[in-house]
Amino acid sequence: MRGVPGYVWADSPLHRAPAAAKLVGLVVCAVLVVLASSPVELVVAAAGVAALVGVSRVGWGAAGRAAWGLRWFLLMVLALNALLFSDVDPLFSLGPAHLTAEGLAQGARIVVRTLLVVVLGTLLTATTRPQELVAGVRSLLSPLGRLGLSTEAAALAVGVTVQFVPTLLRESRQLMRAQEIRCGNVASRGIMRRSVSYIQLLVPMFVSAVRRADELSVAMEARGYRLSSQRGSAGGGERKLRS
Amino acid sequence: MSQVKRIVIAAVCAALCIVLPMAFHSIPNAGATWLPMHIPVMISGLVAGPVAGAITGVLGPVLSSLLTGMPAAPMVAPMTCELLTYGLVAGLLSKFVRTGNVTVDLYVSLVGAMLAGRVVNGVLRALIFSPGAYTLEAWLAASFVTSLVGIVLQLAVVVPVVVSLERAGLVPPRYPEKDA
Repeated sequence: MRGVPGYVWADSPLHRAPAAAKLVGLVVCAVLVVLASSPVELVVAAAGVAALVGVSRVGWGAAGRAAWGLRWFLLMVLALNALLFSDVDPLFSLGPAHLTAEGLAQGARIVVRTLLVVVLGTLLTATTRPQELVAGVRSLLSPLGRLGLSTEAAALAVGVTVQFVPTLLRESRQLMRAQEIRCGNVASRGIMRRSVSYIQLLVPMFVSAVRRADELSVAMEARGYRLSSQRGSAGGGERKLRS
Repeated sequence: MSQVKRIVIAAVCAALCIVLPMAFHSIPNAGATWLPMHIPVMISGLVAGPVAGAITGVLGPVLSSLLTGMPAAPMVAPMTCELLTYGLVAGLLSKFVRTGNVTVDLYVSLVGAMLAGRVVNGVLRALIFSPGAYTLEAWLAASFVTSLVGIVLQLAVVVPVVVSLERAGLVPPRYPEKDA
């Protein structure tokens, strides 16, 4: 399993920028990257992302970790597009598969776009602490509070999700190791046996995850955390932390 | 179940929406065939209600796309609508379907959610995301043929997981009077 980026300690303009601005910036940049189609546009987009990585001071290794984890998937995307996208002027043909320049270009476009969006997402989590992310989501959603929607619940959910990903990844690795000790190496088996092994992991993974959720919610409520609707308030998403 | 616990369960299930596809990543084309992201959304709706299910359905694909690049950006909007429907309908059916048998309740809710999500996905693709280019055959193939393994996996896994959570005392039992 590939890693998910976490916060990287550094002092940079990106670290100091407000989380809400970074979230908006991420969405805008991701849309621009997806809209880029010509080689010149993609090179400009890649240069922009590289500049952001440089400014962030998180290091190229940390910025590229999630993208590196996708290498086999991206290679497969490139190969499928190169072989199946078109059958006009093939460079090489084998049965229904035709290697074409057009297919290669399409595959490369998708791979570059995906890589750039992944690096942008990595930069957000590497330069923003989870609690800052929660505050950013809360401030971005605050206009919805005027409509009576609970923005607090959404902000809480985003924060808990981001914080739980590394924990659940660790636990799933431990469960996989435990299964390997009992039944041998899962990854070395055929697809069917590997699939059955993964299914057997699902029940303990869910029980463990919901147990953690139960413990966290009990701890939060014991410290006086209440959502507005629990206190009988009609609107808004205001939180009260009494302790 | 308190509001805070419902939201935290929704968030933890959304985190599993990010973690599970990584576990399935070593199986070729696992995303389209095994549908690993659907399972936490359904479970969230079944154990924590329609709002929690909907929250998981939105957060799962959006945060997974931002953090891991999967699903790819063009797929995020249709997938989010589909998963939101799964979580919402699973929660609503789980709330209102009361046959007196936990397993029957859960299977009715699960199958209803699976059908509703696929119908919403097909309608949205035909009208909004791929207007004019999405056919009934493509919808049937993507919803029931390519994902047949995923459907079987969901039918085999979701209900036992929810029952296990009830037995472990982590979520309130549907029929406490029977357990007493």
